[in-house]
Amino acid sequence: MSLRAEIGLRMGELGLEARLSAESGEVVGLLGPNAAGKTTLLRALAGLTPLDRGRVVLDGELLEDAAAGTRVPPDRRRIGIVFQDYRLFPHLSALDNVAFGLRARGMSRRESRDRAVEWLTRFGLADQAHVRPRALSGGQAQRVGLARALVIEPRLLLLDEPLAALDAGARVELRRELRRHLSTFAGTCLLVTHDPLEAMTLAEQLVVLEDGRLTQSGTPDQVRAHPRSRYVAELVGLNLFRGTATDGVVVLANGSELVLADHDVGSPEVFAVIHPRAVALYRARPEGSPRNVWPGTAEGLEVLGDRVRVRIEGPVPLVAEVTPAAVAALRLDDGGPVWASVKATEVVAYPA
Amino acid sequence: MNVETEKRGVAVQETGSTDLRGGLIGDGSPLDEPSARGSGRGRRSTAAGRPGARGRRRSGNRAPFGFVPLAVLGIVFLALPVVGMILRAPWRELPADLTDPGVLTALRLSLVCSVSAVVVSCLIGVPLAWLLARVSFPGRTVARALVVLPMVLPPVVGGVALLLAFGRNGLAGQWLDRAFGITLPFTTTGAVMAETFVAMPFLVVTVEAGLRSLGQRYEDAASTLGAGRWSTFRRVTLPLIAPSLGAGAALCWARALGEFGATITFAGNMPGRTQTMPLAVYVALQNNVGGAIALSLVLLVVSLTLLIALRGHWFGSR
Repeated sequence: MSLRAEIGLRMGELGLEARLSAESGEVVGLLGPNAAGKTTLLRALAGLTPLDRGRVVLDGELLEDAAAGTRVPPDRRRIGIVFQDYRLFPHLSALDNVAFGLRARGMSRRESRDRAVEWLTRFGLADQAHVRPRALSGGQAQRVGLARALVIEPRLLLLDEPLAALDAGARVELRRELRRHLSTFAGTCLLVTHDPLEAMTLAEQLVVLEDGRLTQSGTPDQVRAHPRSRYVAELVGLNLFRGTATDGVVVLANGSELVLADHDVGSPEVFAVIHPRAVALYRARPEGSPRNVWPGTAEGLEVLGDRVRVRIEGPVPLVAEVTPAAVAALRLDDGGPVWASVKATEVVAYPA
Repeated sequence: MNVETEKRGVAVQETGSTDLRGGLIGDGSPLDEPSARGSGRGRRSTAAGRPGARGRRRSGNRAPFGFVPLAVLGIVFLALPVVGMILRAPWRELPADLTDPGVLTALRLSLVCSVSAVVVSCLIGVPLAWLLARVSFPGRTVARALVVLPMVLPPVVGGVALLLAFGRNGLAGQWLDRAFGITLPFTTTGAVMAETFVAMPFLVVTVEAGLRSLGQRYEDAASTLGAGRWSTFRRVTLPLIAPSLGAGAALCWARALGEFGATITFAGNMPGRTQTMPLAVYVALQNNVGGAIALSLVLLVVSLTLLIALRGHWFGSR
């Protein structure tokens, strides 16, 4: 049930070019900002939008080849989709919704209903079997949507921001259930999300799509530790810089320098990350061991529980994480000039 | 000042509800009608009356000068004919008039023709509506214009056009005549064709609107679940557009039932063959006014019933 896809298509303003592969039983998370092309990619895999270029091969079967002009229509691909807006058929009960895919494939009414009941019970929704979708809560509706997609035993499961429309409580619950069902799912799963927590907890591989292009891929830990774009850096809460490294110093585009502890990063073009925790703030230029000291202005504060994130603008723009006491002591909420310092050992660089 | 107003018990001005500092009280927008709740400063405005004091709140909309008498004139103009028909109907002779063989023939013929027109309209119109709504094909704008054309074309002109297309020497008619010996004008089939021509657009337009507002979401979901095109249409699309289809079919039927110009031009006015109810009314006015009124009443009742049945479609707050 492995997936190999090369997708090239143009959808309005968006030009999507991506190469994707996933193994059986793997859950791949597709992360990206809005309008990056994630849903378009999903629709292309499902066969709902034809490719302009590329091919899709699922489990050895050629589903689509733009150059050869062959295309398997969506109803014959054995792919299951769970949509963000549930898309349960309003005129059918929960039971008939779940049984729909089986009936469409020719299964008898009785058998399809039996299987549907089995799956609804697995989701704890046996009581709602005869309820219409409009009477279900968001969490219940999405469970029915998931059951409906899983009951047909798809080779590829596509989840398009499945938790996005749910309220916070339902989201937590459903994330847990989703994790449970995905662990026993034999096929490949592609999960589209813009929520980093969802991506980190549910996916084994992450792929980042920005503006129609893949900017990064790797395990959640790899992506978290080594972001390769502003979007990912913001998502995981790191300061990201890009520059040229010579002799343990990274020079940024505007001439500012970051001193590293490592002298050999492996390539001249590098990314450098600094965790906000590693940034110390002063009102006067500090004298001490840190090799990295830069001037700047405190522009904004964000309170996160018992930490405060301070945005520093200047030659080296940074986000620093300090305590509320520090904010009070330095009167950081008044803004104004500050000095930021980071130990060289806290600057992590890797090839770009 | 506030205290004095309080003491007076009931507040003051009729025009707007400004508090003394020049602001406006009420829930926010200055265009709010004065609220009897006040702004918590103890003032009360009676410009709209306190709720409950008079039962219902007046809407407070004042019509521009002259609108009311003109509107009343409009309503009277529309109501008078209906009232006149009801008042002048020969109620005692009605049973006899209605069971007159000529009248019954026209009734039966009208029913057969109009229902046939609806059936044909559904068979041809639904696929047409589906294509217009779902597929972007070259010439779609022209197709849509053709669909709307019979709705604005004078019906008698439609009849003439039908003759030129399907008459003995018409574009398609001459082929039908020579190859199969089929003649369409002045036949019951011709009457059905005339009615379909003027009535089908109503069905197509309504169903297309229904399909557009439904969107493709559910059809996409069904197709990914394994339902082929026909299966999707039958099990998902059709049930979900059933209300639009029903409304479209009802409008189509009403239009077909009432068609006069195209029918008389293309199908002629032969009792039992092409003399539908509207044609029979016209003829009956000459020598059997009672029968004419009886038939008219039947058509009026049908129209009113349709209106009530479709009230959600026309005026509902959907």
